[in-house]
Amino acid sequence: MNTREYFLPQSVNEATQLLAKHGPFMLVMAGGTIAMPLINEGISFPQKVMGLRRAGLSYVTKPNGKITIGAMSTLTQMLDLKEIPILQEAAHQVGGWAIRNMGTVGGNLFAPPPAGDFAAALMALDAQLKLVSTAGARIISLTDFYTGFMTTALSPGELVTEIQVPVPTGKTAYLKYGRKHANTPAVVTVAAQIELDGEGVTNSRIALNAVGPHPIRASKAEEILSGSPLNPTTINMAASAAAEECEPFSDAIATEWYRRKMVEVYVRRTLTKITDRR
Amino acid sequence: MTEEKLNVVGQSVLRRDGLGHVTGKTIFIDDINFPDMLHLKMVRSPLPHALIKGIDFTKAEKVPGFIQALTHEDVPKNIYTILCLIGVGPDEEPVLAEDKVLYKGEQIAAIVAETEDAAMEAVSKVKIDFEELPTVYDVEEALKPGTPVLKHWGTNHFVYEGHHCRRVRFGDVDKGFDESDHIIEGRYQTSPVEHAPSETTGCVARPEPDGRITVYTNTQALFFTMDNTALILGVPFQKLHFVGGTVGGGFGGKVDVIVEPIAALAAMKTGRPVKYKFTREEEMRVSSSRGAWRIYFKDGVTKDGRILARKITTYADAGAYNRHTPYAVTKHAANIAGPYNIPNVWIDAYCVYTNRQPSSAMRGFGVTPASFALEVQMDKIAETVGMDPWAIRFINAYRNGDMKPHQKVVEDATLIEVMQAAAELVGYELPEKFKKMSSLNREEA
Amino acid sequence: MASKIVTFTLNGRRIEVLVKPLTTVQTLLRDQLGLTSTKAGCKQGGCGSCTVLVNGDPMMSCLLPVEDVQGQEVTTLEGITPTPGLHIIQEVFYENFAIQCGYCTPGMIMVSKALLDRNPHPGREEIIDALTGNYCRCTGYEPIIQAIEEAARRMNGNGN
Repeated sequence: MNTREYFLPQSVNEATQLLAKHGPFMLVMAGGTIAMPLINEGISFPQKVMGLRRAGLSYVTKPNGKITIGAMSTLTQMLDLKEIPILQEAAHQVGGWAIRNMGTVGGNLFAPPPAGDFAAALMALDAQLKLVSTAGARIISLTDFYTGFMTTALSPGELVTEIQVPVPTGKTAYLKYGRKHANTPAVVTVAAQIELDGEGVTNSRIALNAVGPHPIRASKAEEILSGSPLNPTTINMAASAAAEECEPFSDAIATEWYRRKMVEVYVRRTLTKITDRR
Repeated sequence: MTEEKLNVVGQSVLRRDGLGHVTGKTIFIDDINFPDMLHLKMVRSPLPHALIKGIDFTKAEKVPGFIQALTHEDVPKNIYTILCLIGVGPDEEPVLAEDKVLYKGEQIAAIVAETEDAAMEAVSKVKIDFEELPTVYDVEEALKPGTPVLKHWGTNHFVYEGHHCRRVRFGDVDKGFDESDHIIEGRYQTSPVEHAPSETTGCVARPEPDGRITVYTNTQALFFTMDNTALILGVPFQKLHFVGGTVGGGFGGKVDVIVEPIAALAAMKTGRPVKYKFTREEEMRVSSSRGAWRIYFKDGVTKDGRILARKITTYADAGAYNRHTPYAVTKHAANIAGPYNIPNVWIDAYCVYTNRQPSSAMRGFGVTPASFALEVQMDKIAETVGMDPWAIRFINAYRNGDMKPHQKVVEDATLIEVMQAAAELVGYELPEKFKKMSSLNREEA
Repeated sequence: MASKIVTFTLNGRRIEVLVKPLTTVQTLLRDQLGLTSTKAGCKQGGCGSCTVLVNGDPMMSCLLPVEDVQGQEVTTLEGITPTPGLHIIQEVFYENFAIQCGYCTPGMIMVSKALLDRNPHPGREEIIDALTGNYCRCTGYEPIIQAIEEAARRMNGNGN
């Protein structure tokens, strides 16, 4: 690894100052579960690295109607979030125990697919991100955060410091399909939140992972459901729309063809799970 | 001997190496370090088939800690084949690639450095000029005219005593097909499988004051590896001292001679201990896998379930080089007709080269894919004939005294007894005639 | 490339080490301190053979910079092995053949320790869930699960 400098800032302030000073050539590392394997394997050789474990970002607070998660909170910490069961489920299905003790909520936002399932769950909940730089702070929707494969709306000098999640008002469901029961990369992951007024859908958010360059919203599927009843017919229509609009890839886990088939199956199952919960 | 005197049989005996394992004190290869030890990392081909036009080490040499780069010119006998020790030839795999590479990840040049990090960084800075060549990945495509030819003898198959494949000829299959009521065909394909041992392949080679080289290795084949290393380095066997036995998982994945010759060479060249251990990615992408096989069956069967003729064409994907596949194909050919008494058998078993990562040994050694295809085919026969899958197997089971297709008299058949025991274990009530059968004799018809 | 002094508690003893930037706990333990029970099966956080406990929580030492454990308590297999003798978990792994090649064993035992410290009577599903990050290529896991069940019985609710 031949890294020349490793910074371990003790506050957000110190972290943003280091980032302003060392700029884009410094690798920012959260739990290390994505960056360290590449460094260990001799694929990446960063000269400067900044770790955030000591930056005071490991907290969960619950102001009115919202859950505020410090970006360095671990996935293990998410297992205690009783208010949002799908975040508990999503966290539990990431890696094994030791990885959940290291991997962070903020870091998961940057995990290239098929990793990054927790971010998909956050997307279905309409999470907002707090981005901080030496110039100040701004809030951005997670859906607007991704701009491409491993690219984001972060400006130079900005850090994701906080994830703000409204406590869901709709019904939620989360399904991750992998090749094994646990500790497995996703073939496809589906997270959904549906708000119903009587029989009709007033608002729907369906997020998919492992079938695009980053966690994505299945917006055509969402449109189909909007204003319609949630029944087998509309669920099937939404599921096939999601399969059509997603952009799966082939890797060691699954082919593009198979992923697309599974998007249809798993969107259907996820939405059906929501109807079962009525 | 009376039963009371047995100390081990029937007893649960604790593992001799168990205390080391549960305390973490067992010494694996990666736990062996010497103060002056160097690390070796490999420059690998990023392409599956290409000509090497030039290698430039200029930038790699500038990495702090760089000691030496080794290429094929440094290897005394660069072209080898592991099975030369049992008479298999010709030599065909380079220790380090010469003018071309045949698979992605092939070893091209070794970098020796003071630390593992420095070696990795130097490897990343070696520039190689390639000219890409067309590739072949499919075993049947590889045998067609006009396909890129990978081997210096002009074919993409191993040559068995002058023949294009390993052949078995027994009886007359065409006659058998004519006498049959059903012709049942099947095509079977298996995939490569990585052994994924917990400990990756590796060794440490250390020069001794008396001029010998001690090699600490996690090979599964200690003497086989030592002999091959001696041949590659062009040194008498007694110049090498191999220390092994502790293997962090093998499953057949640690019988190929890959890391030891080059580590020993580096130790000779530098006069210092050298460690060469695969990363996990190398273990997955570069170490030999179980081969993928494509198997075609054509069976002639009577309406009462007797198999009269079996014709098999089967292809092993050896990947780019032999490793142990020529031998696996021979074992495959001896077993693919199955533990059944079939009067007419015809087998063509090919060892085919493609631009894939070499395949080699893995538990079962060519027999595992044979068993898979064979037993699915047996079920297919049962379905076609309309018989119970158990019955099809009892009716055709071989017995002691039967002649196997490869001209070996059966002496130790146990299929019938195994099936009888299996039926009992799963609670399946066999018909009386199958319960009475025995491998020791054939009942009167 | 300035090395740094890091102070932390290793197996109950406070130690001070000098490490290069971004050196991992795994590298420190194995290459600098000679504590080789912590294995290096993949260096990608994928196999669990390098699991150590940080303040009692299992972590992959291959992904953990030494500087991040400043002031923390790190425990390795060496730290739970009594002299003389064996920890109950080691005893049951040995006696129940929950070992074959031995390479995953240290990580398995460390995770078992963390589990039993928290949950002295884990159910089968809880044991499986705790072990999902630790690969064993030899045993098929069943003897390992049984060994942990046996360890829980022998400890009878008393960890450590």
